[in-house]
Amino acid sequence: MKLSLILGLLLVGQAAFAKDISVKVSGMVCSMCAQGIKKKFSQIKEVKEINVNLDTKIVSIKTNEDQDLKDEKIKEIITEAGYNVASIERK
Amino acid sequence: MKNYLIGSLVYMITLSAHSHPVIYQGGKVISSFNMASYSDNQALYSITSKWSAGLNHWRFTKKDKNTEMGLARVNHLLWRKNGEDSQANIYLLSGIGLVDSEIEARRTEEVYLGGFEADWETRTLFTALKYYHFTSPKVTDIFMAQGRIGFSPFESGFEDLQTWFMLQAMVMPDVEPNVIITPMLRFFYKSVLWEMGSSTRAEWMLNLMVHY
Repeated sequence: MKLSLILGLLLVGQAAFAKDISVKVSGMVCSMCAQGIKKKFSQIKEVKEINVNLDTKIVSIKTNEDQDLKDEKIKEIITEAGYNVASIERK
Repeated sequence: MKNYLIGSLVYMITLSAHSHPVIYQGGKVISSFNMASYSDNQALYSITSKWSAGLNHWRFTKKDKNTEMGLARVNHLLWRKNGEDSQANIYLLSGIGLVDSEIEARRTEEVYLGGFEADWETRTLFTALKYYHFTSPKVTDIFMAQGRIGFSPFESGFEDLQTWFMLQAMVMPDVEPNVIITPMLRFFYKSVLWEMGSSTRAEWMLNLMVHY
């Protein structure tokens, strides 16, 4: 029981280090062209999951546990994909 | 000869041309545009999000005689406006290669390409204009201007099938027929685009483009 509690706390603690980042992107109107955003982020080792929403123009990034992506890196990747970052939010 | 070279270089610097000829850094494009009167096959690699390079083969047919060109291409994204719900682009295109023409006496000579492409699109509206000018001092001087308008009846999701209705107008004075109006359907799914249409002169069109 005590061991389970400690393990549970450790898991919760580790999960807390994964970051959810929402990036608002300008100019993202063509899904075929925006595939580049998904491809570029998928190549980054810190990224666990990437979702693109054309309705909200938001790219949602989930990082691996204990890893983060700096704003500068996010802006660099979005720019390399041909778009502009309007805002970045972290949860 | 010197004047043609200078003129071609001016074209390369000042004009531009074709539908998203530069994509994301490291992205590759293979495309094939086909009608009875012309075809355009390209393989391009985007070195950066502003520059791409690749190979291009063109065929123009006039009265059953072909003019074919193989070119090395360099394309540049000159200007882009990323709006909240729209995107606008201007590209400059250039190329150098060989032309082989059956028109008049058959011969193979060097050819230069200059052109531009401009487009504006939202998720449901699309407009594009492009201009290609091929100059070969001893063989041919061909230009092609193309305009497109289109709409999508609905906004599809990121990884859903997209459907567009489009109208294309092409002017090619050195090709038969020299004005071609083509209504078409455009579809794309993830990184694959295909188009099907038939011109007002019943000339078929079949296009395919893949990004990877």
